[in-house]
Amino acid sequence: MSATTRRGFLAKSVLGGGAAFGLSSLLGARSSEAFAAEVDRRYDIKSGDWIPSCCNMCGGQTGILCQVVDGRLVRIKPNDANPAGFSNISDDFFANCRTEGASMCPKGNAGIMTLYDPDRLARPVRRTNPKKGIGVDPGWTEISWEEAYSEIARRMKALLDAGTPEALLWWSEDHSFTHIQGDFCQLFGTPNYSNHSNLCDTARKASFKAVTGDERPLMDAIQSRYILLFGWNPLGATKWSLLPRILTRGQERGAKLVVVDPYFSATARKAQEWIPIRPSTDGAMALAMAHVIIRDGLYDKKFVEEWTHGFDRFSDYVKDKTPAWAEKISTVPAGTIERIAREFATTQPSLADVWSGPGQHSNAVHGGAAIACLNALTGSYDRPGTLHLPNKKGNAHGHLHADKPKAPRFADDNKLYPMFHGSGVYCEIFKKLAEGTGNYPAKMGMIVFQNPMMSVPGTETVAKALSNLEFLVVNDIFLSETAQFADIVVPGTLFLERYDWNTQWVTWPVLALRQPVVKPIFGQPAEYEFICELGRRLGLRDQDGKEFFRIGALSGRPVESLSAWYEEYLSSESKNGAPKMTLEEIKALPGATWVDKGGTKYEKYRKEMSTEDLAKATCVKTQVGGIEVEQLWDKPKDQGGKKIGTRIGGKAVKGFATPTGKVEFVLTCLTGKKDAEGKPCADLPVYEPRDWQPDAQYPLYLINWKEATHTHSRTQNNRWLLELQPGNPLQVNTKTGARLGLRDGDQAWVESKFGKMKVTVHLTEEIHPEVVGTQHGFGHWALGEEAKGRGSSDSGLRPTRADPIGGQAMHKQCCVRIYRA
Amino acid sequence: MATPQDTPFPPSPPAESRREFLAGRAATAVAGALAVASLGGCGPASPPAQEGSAARRWGMVIDLRRCVACKACVASCKSENKTPPGVAYNVFIEEEQGTFPYVRRVAFTRPCMQCAKSSCAQVCPTGATYHRADGIVAVDYEKCIGCRYCIAACPYGARSFDYGHDYIEKAGNPYNEIPSSEYGASYGLRHKGGSPEGNVRKCTFCLHLQDEKGEYREPPACVRTCMGKAIHFGDLKDPEGVCVAHGEKMQALLAHRGNYRLKEELGNEPAVYYLPV
Repeated sequence: MSATTRRGFLAKSVLGGGAAFGLSSLLGARSSEAFAAEVDRRYDIKSGDWIPSCCNMCGGQTGILCQVVDGRLVRIKPNDANPAGFSNISDDFFANCRTEGASMCPKGNAGIMTLYDPDRLARPVRRTNPKKGIGVDPGWTEISWEEAYSEIARRMKALLDAGTPEALLWWSEDHSFTHIQGDFCQLFGTPNYSNHSNLCDTARKASFKAVTGDERPLMDAIQSRYILLFGWNPLGATKWSLLPRILTRGQERGAKLVVVDPYFSATARKAQEWIPIRPSTDGAMALAMAHVIIRDGLYDKKFVEEWTHGFDRFSDYVKDKTPAWAEKISTVPAGTIERIAREFATTQPSLADVWSGPGQHSNAVHGGAAIACLNALTGSYDRPGTLHLPNKKGNAHGHLHADKPKAPRFADDNKLYPMFHGSGVYCEIFKKLAEGTGNYPAKMGMIVFQNPMMSVPGTETVAKALSNLEFLVVNDIFLSETAQFADIVVPGTLFLERYDWNTQWVTWPVLALRQPVVKPIFGQPAEYEFICELGRRLGLRDQDGKEFFRIGALSGRPVESLSAWYEEYLSSESKNGAPKMTLEEIKALPGATWVDKGGTKYEKYRKEMSTEDLAKATCVKTQVGGIEVEQLWDKPKDQGGKKIGTRIGGKAVKGFATPTGKVEFVLTCLTGKKDAEGKPCADLPVYEPRDWQPDAQYPLYLINWKEATHTHSRTQNNRWLLELQPGNPLQVNTKTGARLGLRDGDQAWVESKFGKMKVTVHLTEEIHPEVVGTQHGFGHWALGEEAKGRGSSDSGLRPTRADPIGGQAMHKQCCVRIYRA
Repeated sequence: MATPQDTPFPPSPPAESRREFLAGRAATAVAGALAVASLGGCGPASPPAQEGSAARRWGMVIDLRRCVACKACVASCKSENKTPPGVAYNVFIEEEQGTFPYVRRVAFTRPCMQCAKSSCAQVCPTGATYHRADGIVAVDYEKCIGCRYCIAACPYGARSFDYGHDYIEKAGNPYNEIPSSEYGASYGLRHKGGSPEGNVRKCTFCLHLQDEKGEYREPPACVRTCMGKAIHFGDLKDPEGVCVAHGEKMQALLAHRGNYRLKEELGNEPAVYYLPV
């Protein structure tokens, strides 16, 4: 049968079925064959509009190209102009991306299923049931956007009129439209803007900031010869789509990948060596490695001498931290630690990296710092194949002409946590909100694209906290668990329906545009438009009396359209940022991505300051860690200056961003400080056991992790992703299971002293016998029809508590017992 | 209460109930079988259609050292071919091996092997499954009566039956108006009771991405998206043939690392090769 007749037949059957299928415009076609030909033409891969953008199924922002036909999103494929899907090293990207093409993870590929998810919230709703609680039906009633705006604005206005703008607490995701939300809060007068990062990796940030001055070094895996990862799962948490390629390519070029993790993670599965370890003891193993490296003189003496601070105190400290000492703590055999230490120090270039595995316990910051110090011993910073200190230039958040809010933060988290991160400390805020122990009564909450009921430890506490707010607004694409506590829920947008700038997680400056590839499918405003409209209704003005949310950031003229106003806002950020280009100019670039041609630079710390900069610099001589340091500032500190260099060995160089300008074995930023719980902070990367250990009653460690198939607690309604990963059975070591009388597939209770969850047991050889764990994100009781009732959530098994130095939520600190249900 | 499901999507035609659909399908199957019988032949009813370029033998070389088991290949296939629930053109297979702490994972993606001597085409009573000139094993949905012999016959489990399920049942949802492009987009407009519902479906190496000469304009979706660049795809006939996605010489990939095919002993001669970990 020829193709023509078959198509003719099919077209007939399509039309015969009475199907309009949204292709009604084609029904006028003269014949069914013409119809078929037209459908084929329209939906061909070369047809329609291919719009470049950035993904946001997770926070990784991988570049995407979206095919839109008849206003519908048909295909998403990788965007080869954006390095986020290819490599974090410029030479590799420039030389090879055109030939090989970029990549995308399964979540990105499944974006269409979330865009058209039938459970999405289409219109604003208001609760009719004043009672709030888990499992309580809010009695939603639909309201118009006008009603939603006017009520929210009226509530906000009341706070302004009462002179208590600080009574508004605000939470947001950390990669999406954060600048405008920060601006809104500052103009409104509340200091209580917080975002997601402290649920993720602020302990890692604190560790590296303390040691190197940079809070987010990135591994240069593709040029490395030895990659040692502690509790980091880049092949499972494929946050940047470049990660699988650079790791496997590094291995192809001869690198050894070693993964230290209690669980045989997706990354451990690809490693040449998996080292199972007791949770939260990674720091002890790192110290013992340092002991071996120093004892045997295997460290980079030149680097240590020229570019580090505090080596003598550190080497004194690790003198008795022998592999045998660490074996008792970590269960890693002393011989293994000896061998890995020697391999790490003698195989160059090497790198040691750590992420959220060890990073979500009470001892996280010091443990991470001990691992960061391994790189200090081998000079593994900012050289090819090591941990790179990226040049993060991108868009510039415009300077807001407004006073900082006068009131202190509600929870004093910025004062309590010595290495407080700008994202706030959710745990401290929710705990105080539940207890009513904040600095003042918090009355109103705004939660944008966050689901703390699932993502913050201590579900009961979060529920109480949210119930204590007089008025809560949630902006989300689903009626999430958190939305169940809202007074008004307004529908948000998916990344495919909105704008954003994305600096990419690569080592040199890149700025890529996210743009609406389809119109918001319910005609709803994007989050920034929602905020802008509220700002207008409240008449928020900056110090110059300018109505901030009406006056265009570039034109200085009133802009009526909310979208056009935000486009100018974005345009001013790119124009004043590294690209020095407008939104429209970047939109026209290949892949809507600006890539700095200068590329990756190495050993930037050695760079001597220009005579010009030096002439303008303010020299500050200061005592740091018992030595005098000559710091160079662009202007005096009290005038908002920042440190731009340090005089080291007589030369004015960029140095590291630490107080000493060097990599610090002695963490001078912690010297003399107390942690959030009043305990003095050690200023060496000491090992102290975390403060919740297994006992006779709760003998097992409970941990959790990510897999490539889902993001946090937000993708569990995506039908395609559920097909890839439909639940999160509890992984239990076969021997442990046998001891507890558990069989594979059993239903069991996992109980801590704070709560319990029901799980399906999976017996496996892939986990440390003292440890059980699950993939995080399941166990929904709202969100959507598909998500509900699948798998288990462990959030209720922990207290609402953060690591006392960095403020990181302690998602992995928990001890449990298990028994058959 | 106003539910969030009440979306302003345009209306869609009324859905036929599945019972009616299956009944209809069965009737078609019987009619189809009769029609074949009436042609008086036994064995394949008609010669397989010759499509694609005879100069090519499209195949895959899957490098398991590069595969990170992310399953992007499975998701991208869903997205490109818009396959319904229960229909998987490629599946990801994993197995735990060993004893703690000496464990390993065997993990690989399994597209259709596009066998030169396929079991599926041999058992197909209507000739619906056929070999294209370029080696791709395709299904003519018009001839397929949904008997599913091929599913039983395929040693690789690479075929699935389209029971007429949908990911989103909601009438009028825009997703349901996006056609699958396999065999041409006009085929892929899903409607109750019409092909490909009630047919057996399988991976086609995204043959709809070929041009009129049978060359690939774009790599198959799984190849294009693969995070480790583990799936190489190209012409196995041409000694100089290169991967259409990343440019490596296919024969060089096969020559230098050792390679194997799944269930080689069955003699199906798959066009999918694996490079060992």
